[in-house]
Amino acid sequence: MSSSNQNIDIHDEKNYDPTVWVPKAHSHGTKDIWLKFWILLGLTVIDVAFYFLMAPSMARNIIFIALGVIKAVYIVGTFMHMKHEKLSLATMVILPMFFIIFFLVWMMYEGNFWGSF
Amino acid sequence: MSTQTISKSNTWKGGNSPFNVSYGKLMMWIFLLSDAFTFSSLLIGYGAIRYSFPSTPIEQIDELQLSFAENVQEKFANGADAHHGEFFIPALRDSGVFSEFQWPSPDLVFNHFPFAHGLHLPLIFVSLMTLILILSSVTMVLGVEAGQRGDKNEVTKWMFWTILGGFAFLSCQAWEWTNFITAGATPWSNPYGPPTFAALFFLVTGFHGFHVFSGVVLNIVIFINNINGTYERRGHYEMVEKVGLYWHFVDLVWVFVFTFFYLI
Repeated sequence: MSSSNQNIDIHDEKNYDPTVWVPKAHSHGTKDIWLKFWILLGLTVIDVAFYFLMAPSMARNIIFIALGVIKAVYIVGTFMHMKHEKLSLATMVILPMFFIIFFLVWMMYEGNFWGSF
Repeated sequence: MSTQTISKSNTWKGGNSPFNVSYGKLMMWIFLLSDAFTFSSLLIGYGAIRYSFPSTPIEQIDELQLSFAENVQEKFANGADAHHGEFFIPALRDSGVFSEFQWPSPDLVFNHFPFAHGLHLPLIFVSLMTLILILSSVTMVLGVEAGQRGDKNEVTKWMFWTILGGFAFLSCQAWEWTNFITAGATPWSNPYGPPTFAALFFLVTGFHGFHVFSGVVLNIVIFINNINGTYERRGHYEMVEKVGLYWHFVDLVWVFVFTFFYLI
């Protein structure tokens, strides 16, 4: 472990200073990272398989979006370290995105009507 | 070295970090949330405009798979490139498959692959781009993990691979754009169908590509800082983690660009 050349301990919350304070980092190993890589690769292969084997339809679009959301969960959870963060931080970031999904579906539905004029 | 000694009731009363993350990392998360809104607005706009046009009928796509096979034969017979620019697009415009009133199937637009001229290979190239970006995301998170252990040399190694992956992705995107532009697409005209298709393609992939470019620049800064021992002296490698968050976000956005532009 390398040591800090500063006099105060940058990991200690008792001398909390937002410009330098940082929680102590600890590794969760590389096994989980490689597992998630193979899962993401597998999901992309499933995407391609559906693209070539299933005729275009709304059901197929829903499958693609669902697979995209699953991929997002693994990227945010493992790669972006979110599953090891506090629940309050995860909620702050993820909750607003649910409204986006609602808005996306709504506007696709609206777009359908613009075309029918 | 006692940490985590502050009781729960004091967490939100100031003097410590309620989220147990550093100031910089919290700000990075908030920035990424705002950037996610920006990309969402682009994709929501795309979704609305995409569904205000009818899709290309499946029968037309099936018919074209056959004409592509003939196309290849013709190419080898004449020795000329009978692909998009010269033969393909005008013929499809005449037959009404590519028209201003019908959204083109991505199948018929993005079907090129390097060194395979004239072949109909939809989705294969974008899948390769997706693989490159996921791989560079993995090397990035391996670099972050090495930083958590304070292993300077390993951080250098993984950052190098991440930068290389970023350049590979940008090169692929440049190739994809070149194909689309040489076929005659501009932000205000599109030989494949409605001009908005080309406009949205340039806007969204361009916006994403610029994020990738910025990410590569940030990665190079981290790479050089790490070689100079900046983080070793600082006592922690959190800067690698913060830039890593941005890099993963770029990968995350690509997952949805891939889904909405190429799959649907």
